[in-house]
Amino acid sequence: MYTILICDDDRDIVSALDIYLTSEGYQTIKAYNGKEALRAAETHEIHLILMDVMMPELDGIRATAKLREGSNVPIILLTAKSEDTDKILGLNIGADDYITKPFNPLEVIARVKSQLRRYTALGGAEKGPGLITAGPIAMDDGAKVVTVDGEPISLTPIEYNILKLLLSHPGQVFSSAQIYEQVWNDPAYGSENTVAVHIRHLREKIEINPAEPRYLKVVWGLGYKIEKGA
Amino acid sequence: MKKLQSSTAAKVCAWIVLLCAALGAGVFGVRALLSFQSVTTDTWQSGSRFYNARENRYRELIDGVYLTQRLELLEKKVEEGTADAVTYADIEALKENRAGVEEHFSRDNTWFRFCLTDADTGKTVGTNLAEGESMLKAVKDIFRSTIELSEESWLEYGYYDPSAYGYEIAPGDQAGQNADDTQAVQPRRLVLEYGVPEEITNVEIQDEFYHIWQAYENDRVSFDQFLTGFLNLGALAVIALLWVLWSAGHKKGRSEIVTTWQERIWFDLYAAAMIAAVVTLAFCTIGVTEQLYWSSTSLYAVQSESYDSFFKLGVMGAGALFAAGVGCGSLLLRTFTVRLKARCLGKTTLLCRVVTWMVRTIHDFIRFLPLTWKVVLGFLIYTMFSFWLLTQLWYDGGWILAWFLVQIALLLFLSWWAYGYYRLRQGTKTIVGGDLEYQIDTRRMPYDLRLQAEDLNNISAGLSAAVDEKMKSERFKAELITNVSHDLKTPLTSIINYVDLLKTTEQTDPKAQEYIEVLDRKSQRLKKLTEDLVEASKASTGVLSVTREKIGMGQLIDQALGEWEEKLNDRKLALVTTLPEGETWVYADGRHLWRVIDNLLSNCSKYAMEGTRVYLDLERGKGQVTLSVKNISRDPLNVPAERLMERFVRGEESRSTEGSGLGLSIARSLTELQGGTFELAVDGDLFKAIVTLPQAN
Repeated sequence: MYTILICDDDRDIVSALDIYLTSEGYQTIKAYNGKEALRAAETHEIHLILMDVMMPELDGIRATAKLREGSNVPIILLTAKSEDTDKILGLNIGADDYITKPFNPLEVIARVKSQLRRYTALGGAEKGPGLITAGPIAMDDGAKVVTVDGEPISLTPIEYNILKLLLSHPGQVFSSAQIYEQVWNDPAYGSENTVAVHIRHLREKIEINPAEPRYLKVVWGLGYKIEKGA
Repeated sequence: MKKLQSSTAAKVCAWIVLLCAALGAGVFGVRALLSFQSVTTDTWQSGSRFYNARENRYRELIDGVYLTQRLELLEKKVEEGTADAVTYADIEALKENRAGVEEHFSRDNTWFRFCLTDADTGKTVGTNLAEGESMLKAVKDIFRSTIELSEESWLEYGYYDPSAYGYEIAPGDQAGQNADDTQAVQPRRLVLEYGVPEEITNVEIQDEFYHIWQAYENDRVSFDQFLTGFLNLGALAVIALLWVLWSAGHKKGRSEIVTTWQERIWFDLYAAAMIAAVVTLAFCTIGVTEQLYWSSTSLYAVQSESYDSFFKLGVMGAGALFAAGVGCGSLLLRTFTVRLKARCLGKTTLLCRVVTWMVRTIHDFIRFLPLTWKVVLGFLIYTMFSFWLLTQLWYDGGWILAWFLVQIALLLFLSWWAYGYYRLRQGTKTIVGGDLEYQIDTRRMPYDLRLQAEDLNNISAGLSAAVDEKMKSERFKAELITNVSHDLKTPLTSIINYVDLLKTTEQTDPKAQEYIEVLDRKSQRLKKLTEDLVEASKASTGVLSVTREKIGMGQLIDQALGEWEEKLNDRKLALVTTLPEGETWVYADGRHLWRVIDNLLSNCSKYAMEGTRVYLDLERGKGQVTLSVKNISRDPLNVPAERLMERFVRGEESRSTEGSGLGLSIARSLTELQGGTFELAVDGDLFKAIVTLPQAN
């Protein structure tokens, strides 16, 4: 039984999130500004916080910074600002993830689950010699098994090979042609356009919201990469 | 001290002291001047007064001699028996006169000494020397003169004006005449020796010489006193004048310099009048002094009692004139000082004003002359001057030096201009370089360049303000968009969430389920619309940050196909791509360019007729890369191409289908943000979008 703190100055959003999370079997605590969130975090044992950014009294960014001083509880920021700078600032200050408003309830639940799994299953998976990880993605090359937040996913051999190539070089951008040559072991003669389709399928399997990938990123006009340190 | 300076009483006192001292100094000065000759001469007998007195005595004596001769002639007539009654009367009158002369020249009455001897016989005819006294010892200087006496001279010439003719003309002429004339009586020649003793011993004998001697002695004694008096009073007058000048312009209760009516008169006029007055008064003083001097040498003045008072009055008058002159001079100095103190000397000088006005007029005239005229005029003057100098060069080597000096002056002037231009150029460069705050230093710049520099400074100031204003407005716009998007998204979040929650609840009315479906669809569309709206406004206002880098167009199209091919295939649309050999590089922001292609392909999936082909062509050439997307519209395109790019315009007007109508507008804005162009072409049902971007090597 996990306790989730929901913090937003809009009461209707808090209630809606409360309904979804309660129906998923989580216990919830409600707060309507940053100060209340800090108080609730002191008095209760919290496993995850959903925090709005724009709030009166104390905004989500400052509250996150305060919370991070003494806790590593997962924090997911809810932001109406789709500005890149806000996302980067939130992540830098110590938030673990972010969801932009207006959000899809299913995406919220998926992200909550993902963060909780990661938070509670810390150190669960052993780091074997054949284990390659990036964020929630773990690839056991020996067993040919790929897990995301501990959940195994099924991949085709090509998808598996593409993911392995990208995981082995986190942060490095591979163009379609490079991926084709490495995975198919064939020189690319204009036949690399299939790579993009494979990547899309792979993204749909790994990412919670494929339109806004967190790990397997498209670098438009250059290629693809696995986010370094994600 | 300050109080004393502004005290009116002290000022009046100073003026009184000044005038009194000047008067006293004048009197003493005149007296000193009058007695100056006595001091500079060694003896009292060298003065002009003595000369006059001596000559007078001499003439009287000559008169006496002629008188005697005439008497003798008349007596001779009596002896010869030719005398008549008139002769006897004449003899009586002459005898009386002679007695008077004898009395006048008596030793007891005068210090004049004489000795009359016959030049032929050497016998003394008459003298007033004491017995056995020699002339040499008796007087200081012996004066000698020869008198020729002829009988005719007395018959022809009257008795009453003997001195002029008898003494000066008659002897020479008659001697020459008589030498040839054997009939004439040999004239009698007399030698007259005369003089005055050095020492006046007996004060009982009070003749003119005694008075002259006494005046001389008095002058010698009192000159020092006069001089001392003059110097002391003069010093006092100077001190009083200094006080007057020091306190001039200060007034009780006023901190600034107070000017009077005198300072309202043009200084040069005032000065001219005062200097004229001073000069006139000085001449008057000198004139009076001169008159006094000469009058005092007159014999009658010496003994006269009334002359003494006249002399004193004259001296007083001269002193007063002197004092008046000093007063005028002091007034002039005072107003000069006040004007200096009030710093209005130049302003209140007519000449200065006129000259200043003329200089300013000429200066302004030259200054406001157009630069072209200035250059032409300057060049003409320079040429003429150089030519004039060159003509002089033939004659004198010194002109070569002058010529060189003119060249150096010209060089300095041109350097001044060049340096000014250099500064102007540097300033302009700095401003063009983006430092709008920069102000060009216009000090010591040629006038014409300074005008230019000032205008430039004004432009940069105006531009700077405009840029600030623009920045402010941009920030405001960006903030507004962010705030509006937040305010729209927050309620939308609730709507979407609660519609979603409604879907999960049991609905008794079957229609309710249908309604919820509509709500869900429309709220999703609203979400899309909001996002597009924010993006469109961001893109069109240029708030979005653009990071341009080298992007592979082939790769990007590949990725786009990966995203869209399946969706398009689902709509029975076939994609045909034509790419050039090798990778095509462009300078663009990958994310923004992706949005452009994404929007175009999304448009195809929405509006293209099913079962047709979508053409995606990439071409490069002339430094440009062109990407065109062609498709056949499902509905007739009843709007011109330009209107399609406007916001909220879609190919069909019903607006029943999905899409916000912002896609093309966003695509165009984003393309232009990256320095590219976005064009649309409509040919019947053929829809063509062309994106052109600069090629990267």
